[in-house]
Amino acid sequence: MLNCPQPFWTALILQRHDLPDARLLQLTAAAVIAVILWFVIRGLLPEAWRSPGSPELYLAGVAGVLLLLVPVAFVIAKRGGSGANPVNWFNAHVLCSLIGMVLIVIHSGGFLRRPPALLLLALIALAALGVWARIRGSRRMAATFASKAPGFTVPDAATRDRLRVLIAEKRTLLLQLDPQANEGTFSVNLPHFMRSPGLALAYRKLAREESLLLGSRAAVSAKQAWWRPLHMALAWLFVLGVVIHVVTVTFFAGYVADGGPINWWHLRAWGG
Amino acid sequence: MDTINQGPSERLALLIDLERCTGCKSCEAACKTEHRLGPGEYRNKVVWASALEEAGLAFLTLTCQHCERPACLRACPVNPKAIAKDPLTGIVRVDESRCTGCGECVIACPYSAMGYDAKGHHAVKCDLCTERRAEGDATTACASVCPTQAIRFGKRDELLADARASGRLPRDQDHFLLGPATIYLERTTPRNTATPTAITPARAHPGESRRPSFIDGLAAQTAVQAQTPSFPYGESRADTAPDRVVPGGCNICFNCCTVKFHFKNNKLIKITGNEDDPLLKGRVCPKSQLTLQMYHSEHRLLYPQKRVGARGEGKFERISWDQALDEIADKLKIIRDQYGAEALAMFIGTRTGILDYRATTKMFAQLFGTPNKDGTDPFCASGKNVAFELTLGSIGSGNSYTENDLGSAELYVYIGDNQAETRPVYFGMINDWRIKNGAKMVAVDPRLTATASKADRWLPIRPGTDMALGLALAQHIIANNLHDAQYCADWVLGFEQWRDFILHKQYTPEWAEQATGIAAADIKRLAEEIAAADGCVIFASRGVNQHTNSTQTNRVLMFVSAITGNWGRRGGAFFNMSAGTPIAAKVPEHRAPKINKQRVRRSPAGWTEAMLHGMPYPIRALITCNNPLAQWPGQAKAREAFAALDLMVHIELFANETSAFADYLLPAASGIEKGEIGRSNDDRRIVWIDKMIDPPGEAKSDTWIWIELGKRFGFDDVLKDKYKDPAVFWDEVCIDSDGLRGCTQKRLHSVPYRWVRQPVATEDAPEIETLFLEGTTVPNGAPGRRFPTKSGKLEFWTDELEAKFNVLGLSALPEFYSEREQLVDLPYMELLETDAEAGVISPFCSPATGSARGRIVAPGPDHPGIKLRAQGFDTELVTGRPPAAHFHSWTHYFWQSQEMWPDLYCQIHPDKAAKLGINDGDRVQVESAHGRIEAMAWVHAGIRPTAVFIPIGWGERQPYNPWRPVNFLTDSTQRDPVSDQTNLKVLLCRVSRA
Repeated sequence: MLNCPQPFWTALILQRHDLPDARLLQLTAAAVIAVILWFVIRGLLPEAWRSPGSPELYLAGVAGVLLLLVPVAFVIAKRGGSGANPVNWFNAHVLCSLIGMVLIVIHSGGFLRRPPALLLLALIALAALGVWARIRGSRRMAATFASKAPGFTVPDAATRDRLRVLIAEKRTLLLQLDPQANEGTFSVNLPHFMRSPGLALAYRKLAREESLLLGSRAAVSAKQAWWRPLHMALAWLFVLGVVIHVVTVTFFAGYVADGGPINWWHLRAWGG
Repeated sequence: MDTINQGPSERLALLIDLERCTGCKSCEAACKTEHRLGPGEYRNKVVWASALEEAGLAFLTLTCQHCERPACLRACPVNPKAIAKDPLTGIVRVDESRCTGCGECVIACPYSAMGYDAKGHHAVKCDLCTERRAEGDATTACASVCPTQAIRFGKRDELLADARASGRLPRDQDHFLLGPATIYLERTTPRNTATPTAITPARAHPGESRRPSFIDGLAAQTAVQAQTPSFPYGESRADTAPDRVVPGGCNICFNCCTVKFHFKNNKLIKITGNEDDPLLKGRVCPKSQLTLQMYHSEHRLLYPQKRVGARGEGKFERISWDQALDEIADKLKIIRDQYGAEALAMFIGTRTGILDYRATTKMFAQLFGTPNKDGTDPFCASGKNVAFELTLGSIGSGNSYTENDLGSAELYVYIGDNQAETRPVYFGMINDWRIKNGAKMVAVDPRLTATASKADRWLPIRPGTDMALGLALAQHIIANNLHDAQYCADWVLGFEQWRDFILHKQYTPEWAEQATGIAAADIKRLAEEIAAADGCVIFASRGVNQHTNSTQTNRVLMFVSAITGNWGRRGGAFFNMSAGTPIAAKVPEHRAPKINKQRVRRSPAGWTEAMLHGMPYPIRALITCNNPLAQWPGQAKAREAFAALDLMVHIELFANETSAFADYLLPAASGIEKGEIGRSNDDRRIVWIDKMIDPPGEAKSDTWIWIELGKRFGFDDVLKDKYKDPAVFWDEVCIDSDGLRGCTQKRLHSVPYRWVRQPVATEDAPEIETLFLEGTTVPNGAPGRRFPTKSGKLEFWTDELEAKFNVLGLSALPEFYSEREQLVDLPYMELLETDAEAGVISPFCSPATGSARGRIVAPGPDHPGIKLRAQGFDTELVTGRPPAAHFHSWTHYFWQSQEMWPDLYCQIHPDKAAKLGINDGDRVQVESAHGRIEAMAWVHAGIRPTAVFIPIGWGERQPYNPWRPVNFLTDSTQRDPVSDQTNLKVLLCRVSRA
């Protein structure tokens, strides 16, 4: 709510705590230094700290994945309607991602020529993209103001006709998807997908088409338009990769070991 | 409007009128001030609603459309949304506390009206000043200041009904069925057709919106955004809620806007227009608001400094005021003893304030005994001042910007006056009357300026030939008996002599077509319109003034006004900027030493030979109060001359190019830090500005500095210590004249807008709306003496005038000549003496001033233009004022002025640009016979294809986007012998990609 007075404590919780660029750069630098340091001292560490399957590095991997679940939680909190303060969730996603990334690097034991290293690559790309978006992409966002031509071009009759049809279709669909909602201010969110995935997808498709007709994404630079879809795609690829990694090391350990010893701790300890 | 939903009747909106908007960006300034937005953050922005290829300027303020179906809101991925739409008012707002800064809303808005705070990482947008209105303000910040009333706020239905009632059509910008609430009114239909040489400014449906590339250049904007803006940007609303508001005025330009200064805990937090002013009604240009950034600037000079490096190197050490003033006084005494008092020159720019310009420094110069004191007049306005004095007997038209007076004209003709950008609020009033009353407007200018863009016709004249146009207008009017014969008989002295001269010379429209490039038919049509109009106001300005024919051109245009009866009437006038402020500060005769030598020249640009070579006599010391090393024509020589001085003192707000050459750098106060009157302005208003805050650091008012320096010479019996209080100085010293005697502190403070229109002979004398009306008598004049000349009539020609002109080898009957550097061969003025020679004593100046004699040279094989063209100088260079956010150097230290107009630019026609392989936003090199600079290309069809325009004001030592000043291209020796005005408006140059 925009104008309702709130109690002090609520206001404090809901207060916007922005992560300044300088702080983000410090955090990123700390993560990079930690990774470099790890590679520098790795040779001097005991064997257990160089073997991804050792208890130490196994736990590092688990901790890393748990931390990397925070961004997933951020997505749910932001879109699910349960997050009181999406900005705090955003900050948590940044912090946990960076620490998680360091732990995953440590978990890798420095084996960078094996398929799981692709996950590391995805993580690094995610972090780099996120930092770029926050530091440089933000300036592009600011510079977008008053930069698009389409808003004041001569109206195109065909576009308008197609839009008119689209809007009518959206309204019809909305009667089933969310009867109380106003098409003009409505967009599908996570609960809609949970409740009526088919309708939500259909609505999303129409909304996409409308967006394409508006041409507003095409009116900005490719970097600005697509960094976020790319960021999200990489994140989902990473999640998929983690699942594959866990499944293969657990259920296809021999394949993963490729003839070598299966020395990962949890399988040895718990029996595989 | 093709919308899906019918909006609620309580729906609020902005109405933006394209017929009124001049693109001044005052709305941007107001918005950022109101919402404390920093560099790069926008809730509104001015765009050009016309393509660069079109010879049109249609501006509009782009801001949130508050759509029925907001694309931004629907794109927001946060749940619940970080963007909400009020179901009653329709206002779309961002809840910044929920915004994660993903930017999807920015991408989604097809109008690109969603802003973004790149430092705080969240969306920002216009919310129609919800918080401001909740605090009691009736309107939005942008609408409250808009100089042209182009922005209105209210209920959408009512705004639409108003527009339709006045026959105006809203634009259809709902291309995507989003149901935008913001209303844009189409430009009006052109009322006239024009011949091919006259261009009707584009009024058709504008094409795509865009801005000149250089404005949004990454490097230029990064330079602004890299620096953290000073207080109060980024502060919370609560921390900037005012506890005190004091009326005053803006001290920058000639519009002299009345403003309100808002304070919290005695700290200045905001400057707004003064809505209590019955004339200006709270309208202000961006500069007035942006002076906030001067008062809080981190670039201000804070303490006296002494040079420790080489001249021009810019190395200084901090010293005390006592040390600075003692050492300056000691050095001045040595120079005075060795060379005489006249070896001190004083260049007093208007930055120093009118009180100091016309009073303190004048008194100091008289007490010291030097005649070599002047300001920027010979670069801007001395030609029109001389012309007014000769014709009218005083400076200024005598008319007022009121509904009864200028508002009642039927025709407005702008000749070389871009009023929309130089006096935006005054232009807003004229444009309002034009629209409401159906008056006509014609603009004569080499460029399609913001002013010309509102005119019915634009006549793209060859620069430097306004005199030919004026002569042809007069010839056509007289030859066809269209003049007001009775008026001429009753109120013009020397009309017959001038009429016969004009007719004899055959200055016909056909003759003028060759010189001006304007079709004879258009000249005739304009002449007939001027003659037929029941009230015609001719506005002239720097485009007419800054020429070697400055005085005579002004006189000719004055004569055109007079013979059509447009002088001394409501709705009829000849205007040329400010009316002058008759401050009467004088030193008692017994205290002023006798001055034995003539002033070297009226123009400071004529002092360089005296500085460099001691010719005609030495000038060894200079005290200057602004930035001559960006401002003086012929920069190369000016810098050489400054380097040769024994003593140079610079009194300034910011370190600039001139500072680097100074021996002593003294920090000055400005505006409300010292208390003063505003600039001389068009309609005779004296605007008082109280001292409200202390200057930063150890900075002092200019008055304080001159009084303290004066004490070291024993001047304190005249320049008294108590005069450091400007209010005391004003009442006791400045207003002892018929025009100002009634303009006391008491009277100025008796009105909530702090101005009084002079002349007012007594404290209770009524203000006079229109001077010189038939049947009236000038103050203290004999009965029937209508005009303040000796004869009581407008004087075109008299024996006395002829004798004066003859001293300089000229005639009082204005014979046509133009400039030496032209693309066609026209008569030009040749000066018969150099600045190193004493010349003759000018009959047009006081005190006694040296002047060169002149000779009009007819075109011939030795014409200087032929030689220059043979060297490849194939383009007319026009210099002039940049848009409204800038004024000379000092606004370049305001971050937002720089954000609005960051780089030095070169306006160039698309045809010429294409020929030279230059694209919009390219870096170009411009070279004249006098120097070379670089600038950014602004490709724009609204300029003569043979010309380029480069503005003044940029300098090499400015903090954000430094550039070499355009005056490296100008020539200090091309001057008007009568007024010593320099030609700054047409020089030949060549342009290439840098």
